[in-house]
Amino acid sequence: MNFLNKIIFFYYREYKLNMSGIQDILTNIIFFFISIFIFIFSIGSDKETISLIGVGILWTLLLLSSTLSLRKFYQDDFENGNLLIIHLNGFSFGFISILKTFSHFLFVQVPFLLSIPIACILLNISNDKLFYLFASFSIGSLILSCLGSISSSMNLMNQRNFLLGSVIVMIFSVPVIIFSVGIINMEESFNSLINILFGILLIVFAINPWASGLCLKLSLENN
Amino acid sequence: MLIVQDLSIERLDKKIFENISLSLVPGNITILKGKNGSGKTTLLKAILNIIEPSFGSIYWKGKLLQKNLYDFYNHVTYIGDSTSSLKKLTLRDNINIWKKFFISNVNDAQIEIALKTLRLDNYLNKKVGTLSFGETKKLEFLRLIMENKKVWILDEPLSNLDEDSIELMKQTFEDHCGKEGSIIFSSHQNPGIYVTEEINL
Repeated sequence: MNFLNKIIFFYYREYKLNMSGIQDILTNIIFFFISIFIFIFSIGSDKETISLIGVGILWTLLLLSSTLSLRKFYQDDFENGNLLIIHLNGFSFGFISILKTFSHFLFVQVPFLLSIPIACILLNISNDKLFYLFASFSIGSLILSCLGSISSSMNLMNQRNFLLGSVIVMIFSVPVIIFSVGIINMEESFNSLINILFGILLIVFAINPWASGLCLKLSLENN
Repeated sequence: MLIVQDLSIERLDKKIFENISLSLVPGNITILKGKNGSGKTTLLKAILNIIEPSFGSIYWKGKLLQKNLYDFYNHVTYIGDSTSSLKKLTLRDNINIWKKFFISNVNDAQIEIALKTLRLDNYLNKKVGTLSFGETKKLEFLRLIMENKKVWILDEPLSNLDEDSIELMKQTFEDHCGKEGSIIFSSHQNPGIYVTEEINL
């Protein structure tokens, strides 16, 4: 029971932290919408062209916007020693990475999820595609959070080159983009593609605590 | 309770320290003394099982530490050289988070007394980021009271504190040892605290 309470209060702490830095979340969303506008201005006002490539643009921008927040994934807790304190309170490093991944999903990805309908209007994506977009983004964003956790924990040992972590996330998110965009453009293969996406989620979800946990331990050891 | 036996640590083929032994029983205070870079923090991290020693072993309640790790963690509070309070939040928020996360049985009246003793009661609604380093460090000590654990592992607890606060810490150390608690702390200066064991690194 104590352990469950600790998990609940871990998220209470994450909520407080994220609410105190809500401007960071809003900046991400603003970056996302401004980027959509830039795409629209650069492509032109042809509705059909925008509609045709809209889903691809949306997914690319969601990926880029969510990588913006990766720097803070573990960095603050690592620098102020909270990572160690949380570990000393009975959470293994692997378990911390699972909790942080869900926290990133809740406080960074869910706001994007909620802003998708507005983005769809801007990019002339039809309403009937909205369900597929939500389904693919719900799974895809969890995959991105898992990849983000791995790359951010690796970055703790590499203070000099933050971009390296973003590059790793982008390379490994190529399959996510392919299948997620595929789901929306090929609705008849929805079941098979969503299963593949779900399979990728299970793989990264299994690797994440192991890889991130090890990186967290190594970075604290070498700090 | 805690026994460190012939501990040696090498990093990148460089010997940090070797053959360090110590034992910590209830009521004991152990000080780790040494210059900057002599390995005090490394030894504390090894005791916390964050750094793996090259040689030697650590025992907790008669068992190897690795095999009894989470029981050890249930009995230990660590205060490191960085301040763990969240700078964006107020003192009150930090205290609430600690109280809930550590499932502390310390009540509000006790916290209020501790805050008054630390002279932090006027800053409750201020953000931690606006406090001085010494005040943030004092806030850190509140965690010792809130976690209410038997073993305290403290990295340079007396640095950046004024004379009154050092005196207060001495009193707190004595009280804790009087309640069957034990303390390991590091210092590069002579703190003027009665210690039962001194390890020179």
